[in-house]
Amino acid sequence: MFYRLLTLNWRIFISNLNRFQLLLTIGYIMFLGIMLVNLAGTAIVVVMMDSNPWMTMELPWLTPDIYTFILMVFGNAFWVMHFSFTNMRLMNIEENRKLLGFGFPLKRLAKYLTIIGFCHPVNIIYNFTWLIFLLIQVDYAFQIPVAISAVALNYVLIYSIKNRFIRVVEKRFIAVVVGFLILVFVLFQFVSLFASNSSRIFAELIPQVETVNEFLSWLPGGMLIQTVTVHYGWMNAGIIFLFSSILVGLLVIDHFNKTKEGLLNPGLKKAEEEQGGLWRFLRKVLGRNAGKYYYYVMKHPYNRLQVLTLTIIPIVYVPLLMNVEYEIAQTILIPTILAGIPVALLAMGMANMYGYENREFLLHLQFPIGLEKQLKERFLGVIILPLLVFYLITIFELLVIPEIGSALEIFVANTFFFLMFMLLFVWSSYFQYKKASYSSFSYKHPIIPQKVTFAISFLIFTMGYFVFVPLNGLEWYRLTIMGTVIVIMGVYLWQHMDVLVNLFKNRVLMRLWNEL
Amino acid sequence: MERAVEIRNLVKSYEEEPVLRNLELDIPPGNIFGLIGPNGAGKSTLIGVLTGLLSFEKGEVKIHGMKLAPENELEIKKLISSVLQPPLLFEQFSSLEFIEYVCEIYEVEKEGLIEKAYSLMDYFDIKDYAKIKVNKLSAGSRKKLAFVTSVLVQPKLLLLDEPFEAVDVISIERMKTIIRRLKQRGVTIIVTSHILEVVENLCDDIAILHNGYIKAYLDSISRKELQRDSNLHEIFEKYVDVERKDDIVDWL
Repeated sequence: MFYRLLTLNWRIFISNLNRFQLLLTIGYIMFLGIMLVNLAGTAIVVVMMDSNPWMTMELPWLTPDIYTFILMVFGNAFWVMHFSFTNMRLMNIEENRKLLGFGFPLKRLAKYLTIIGFCHPVNIIYNFTWLIFLLIQVDYAFQIPVAISAVALNYVLIYSIKNRFIRVVEKRFIAVVVGFLILVFVLFQFVSLFASNSSRIFAELIPQVETVNEFLSWLPGGMLIQTVTVHYGWMNAGIIFLFSSILVGLLVIDHFNKTKEGLLNPGLKKAEEEQGGLWRFLRKVLGRNAGKYYYYVMKHPYNRLQVLTLTIIPIVYVPLLMNVEYEIAQTILIPTILAGIPVALLAMGMANMYGYENREFLLHLQFPIGLEKQLKERFLGVIILPLLVFYLITIFELLVIPEIGSALEIFVANTFFFLMFMLLFVWSSYFQYKKASYSSFSYKHPIIPQKVTFAISFLIFTMGYFVFVPLNGLEWYRLTIMGTVIVIMGVYLWQHMDVLVNLFKNRVLMRLWNEL
Repeated sequence: MERAVEIRNLVKSYEEEPVLRNLELDIPPGNIFGLIGPNGAGKSTLIGVLTGLLSFEKGEVKIHGMKLAPENELEIKKLISSVLQPPLLFEQFSSLEFIEYVCEIYEVEKEGLIEKAYSLMDYFDIKDYAKIKVNKLSAGSRKKLAFVTSVLVQPKLLLLDEPFEAVDVISIERMKTIIRRLKQRGVTIIVTSHILEVVENLCDDIAILHNGYIKAYLDSISRKELQRDSNLHEIFEKYVDVERKDDIVDWL
């Protein structure tokens, strides 16, 4: 029966995919592979860094305390990331609940769904990385079962806590997670900034690091690390293992009961009052129409995640790269990363211009305001925020890292970058809406075009090499070419601004009506 | 006399399959007009055409004397509000935000709007949901919210596609009360429904739509005559040629 349930869920998933989406799903699986290699690789590097002779020679400041500090920061940051990525909405309860109407036994369904829920690939990757991270640090055999049971306990605990409290504390929780992540990365920054030239500062910092380590070792990530770094003997190991295993069992039973409850209570979702602060802000900045659209863009969980990533990546990497004595990194990677930010914002806005609102867009059509006017307002709204970020970044580059180029060079390159991707998004939207498949228009599932953004990140870096690599005497040739292409793209976009509007009228509208 | 709705020779197809065939219809102003017909008769399509959401191949549609054409589109849309099936709402907004947004678009006077919105929501027992996100509301509450909003924008023509579906009996009665009050203020209301008792009790004129044609137009006079011997249900069955199929399931 479990096999049938898996097949059924798999069929539900597959039947909603078109060929293009299937390709993207394969891309997503590859992305998961890359994610696993990256996470596990980082964990191995962090653990091995003090035993590598090259590292100890190149990094004289890497004392045992600093090494422990890095281990602790990694462990705790990884724990917080795991906490924020353990998705709770995995079990497709709404669809599977229907099976109860056809006589599928409740207990069995809840049991199977609990198992399926625990087996999400991202969670498996996280737990696998935890095991690698901990097991390569093991000194004694008795630490192995303890580490394994601790990882299992950690996972079911996270699962259970999120299941119970996430709705109540979601907003505060996100603020805490983001704050903590930034804090951890800022700590990393300090480490890297001081590392390049100041063993003296580290000498002064060492006593404090010991105190910080003590504190970090009692945070969840630190406690997991302690399972393989502390000598507690076979007797204690047995007790901890037994205790952890019982707890894991109890929590799984608890989760099974929660799933059962969820299957029987479709209306349990809590209706909370909405504050609408973001909506009011966007309405003020972008106007009624574009503000509403952008509000929907920002409400989508994938986009929230992207905004988080867009905040963290430059905070982490730009200062790091600025301190690396490797010129190519500064002249290519920094401007590419920065130019990618407005492009990513643009992608979020343009990835699914009708999908975020789906059927309710029909209500907009009934309003006594012309469709063209409404859509153009949206386009402008979608462009304004990335443009604002674009100018802030350009000014930042000119003031803080003028070595990457002159004002004209930076401006032309960034504009080229921005327009090129805008054109790409218009074209991809055009082809996507021409197909007008179901998943393109659902608020719940505009994921497929979102997944395109993974592919776009590769394109961004490829383009970065063309646009930002120093050409010295040949720079003017490139500026002339880019300038010409900018004019062509600008004229093309201006002339074809209504391409998506017409497509909406001819294809999308009918589809939306039929979905009523 | 100017008609609220005037339809001449209307043809509308979906992928070459005709749904409305040379449809002719006149609806007088200030009328509560019932449009009934079996599933797939073309009722929702006709509502779609009147809202301006659906284009049509042939024919002419006039709303309060204005031809439904691009040059009059915005003027006509100002006169119309609708509740479609399922209702169209802004899922990420709270109920009150939704009402405010729509009323602002229709340039409804702001003074006293919130009070009116609250009183109507109170009337339909959805006042407690004013600050709750629309996507958290039940099917009935969503229908009521759409109805409240469509009333607040003060239309001259109100289109209601199956407005009583999923709504409790008390709220149906209250909806009927509101519809009658709107009629007193000169608003024309077009209602489609499968609940023939409600249509019979509420509407002034009734049309039976079947296979894309108006099979019968029953104004108050003809209704009186016809209903002397039969009820609306029997009249409906007569006009849509209901085929008795009970023998098909004799095996059961």
